[in-house]
Amino acid sequence: MNQSDQNEFVNSIQSKFQNSSVEFDTLKIEVDSQSWVDTHKTLKAEFDLKFFNWLSAVDWDNDVKIGDAPKEPVTPSFEIISCLSKTNSDDLVISSTKISKEDPQIDSLVEVFGGANWHEREAYEMFGINFLNHPNLKKLYLPDAYEGNPLLKSFELISREVKPWPGEVDVEGMPEDNIVVSEEGS
Amino acid sequence: MAQTMDPNNMPILSEASVSVEIETEDMTLNIGPQHPSTHGVLRLVAKINGEKISSVEPVLGYMHRGYEKLAEVRTYPQVTTLVNRIDWVSGFANEIPFIAGAEKLMEIEVPERAQYIRLILTEMARISSHFVFNGAFPLEIGALTPIFLAMEDRERVLDLLESVTGGRFHPNFNRIGGVKPAAGAGPTTKKDIQDLPAGFYHDTKVAMQKVLEAVDRFEDLIGGNEVFQIRTKNVGVLPKEVAEEYGVSGPILRASGVEFDLRKQSNYLPYDKFDFEIPIGENGDCFDRWSVRTSEMRESAKIILQAIEDMPSGPIQAKVPKVIKVPKGQTYVRAENPKGEMGYYIISEGGLGPYRLKIRTASFSNISILPIMLEGALLPDLIAIMGSLDFVLGDVDR
Repeated sequence: MNQSDQNEFVNSIQSKFQNSSVEFDTLKIEVDSQSWVDTHKTLKAEFDLKFFNWLSAVDWDNDVKIGDAPKEPVTPSFEIISCLSKTNSDDLVISSTKISKEDPQIDSLVEVFGGANWHEREAYEMFGINFLNHPNLKKLYLPDAYEGNPLLKSFELISREVKPWPGEVDVEGMPEDNIVVSEEGS
Repeated sequence: MAQTMDPNNMPILSEASVSVEIETEDMTLNIGPQHPSTHGVLRLVAKINGEKISSVEPVLGYMHRGYEKLAEVRTYPQVTTLVNRIDWVSGFANEIPFIAGAEKLMEIEVPERAQYIRLILTEMARISSHFVFNGAFPLEIGALTPIFLAMEDRERVLDLLESVTGGRFHPNFNRIGGVKPAAGAGPTTKKDIQDLPAGFYHDTKVAMQKVLEAVDRFEDLIGGNEVFQIRTKNVGVLPKEVAEEYGVSGPILRASGVEFDLRKQSNYLPYDKFDFEIPIGENGDCFDRWSVRTSEMRESAKIILQAIEDMPSGPIQAKVPKVIKVPKGQTYVRAENPKGEMGYYIISEGGLGPYRLKIRTASFSNISILPIMLEGALLPDLIAIMGSLDFVLGDVDR
């Protein structure tokens, strides 16, 4: 990998998109949800990012049923994240946009990248995000009758209801500790 | 009768039969989820017109285990146990990008020896994965012999993996900051530590020599077989533009003539220290996809032989805190796995586990082109095309 080529690419992206950052070698641009499709058209045509890598979403919420809540309070929203890359160098761009949770909808990328089809179907079933103008927006993994969106932070994991957070019970104690634990439990 | 027939003036059968037009209806053929050629539980709903496929709809989810949700309720060291089981044919290779991502967020410098051990074992996972392909693909299109040879050859590589990690399929060998030491070897940060079993270098040399012989034999036995060539050449041609648009990566992309391999382009492991080639195909058909993978085994064996020659000494574990806490940040780390690009987008909020872990797997994108590749193909070619994509359902459904 050529370091100067990499910097040139980062600079050209950063001069085009104001809201961009490089964090831990990952170039990320944040755009408005209205210009989501246009951004991808620009990245594909002007920056030669023709390889559609993946698309997914994040549920930002302070009220987390399982797992760790964010340390600092966040504004509840859905963040849509896509990754485009090249097939002649290591360059890649993470694009991100935020949409409201009340009415989660965004334009589909299928007309720009056919490969977005399955990724958007997955985000639709896992988060309940509605992708407008998608040719075949139905569940990908889950059964048709399944209710709920599993990757939402408000979605509980039944196994964790039965067994608490693994950090507390995972470390095996010494044999004498076990006796104490079993006495407490009985 | 034979004497009266002029070869330049033969009646064309198709023209002769056109005179009657019959209204036909497409038939729906359900393939899977328990079909031997679907590598697990993939279901295809195919509409066929005689022998011709008019459309195919893959139905996924029979192997969906919800790893992205499960990762949110696990600590970082616990997630490696999960990711082993994504692509179970090359479990070791799945750990590398996740561990590298966590190390990047924690800004840990991994000792060189640990990186070499990771590299050697990743390449062994690649060889064992391609052995399975070299057995299963000919089997699916009717050649029974190669699977027996491939399984025997793969066993030598799995034995080596087992001798180091203790596991044949799910090693769970990588630790944040390094690799697992041999049992009873003492503190991991001391200067020299027993990490590889006795006789490992010698055994590896012997096994890699056997791999090189096996590749020669496969190229002769499978690639030189006329029936195999007829079944695979010019079948399922994938243009590189379509492959790029759908995120198809790994040997399938290279078979379509794109010279892209993260081992050369990226720096997640010290591959730049070794001399190896990237095999690429010309036509992007099933035969090229077979030939690229088979040539890759030879290159992987070459890398392993070079790596054990100049193996550095030193510690195998960097200094890490007792309780692994990853600072707040986001990163995407990817690696060239046997089946293609695998990557993890880690969003850390500073807790014991990731706030969100997006798992990008190769097989998911690789089989998303099935509806395009199979449209207009013949039904017997469906098995050849599916087999040449070399997917694992755990890698598709996660």
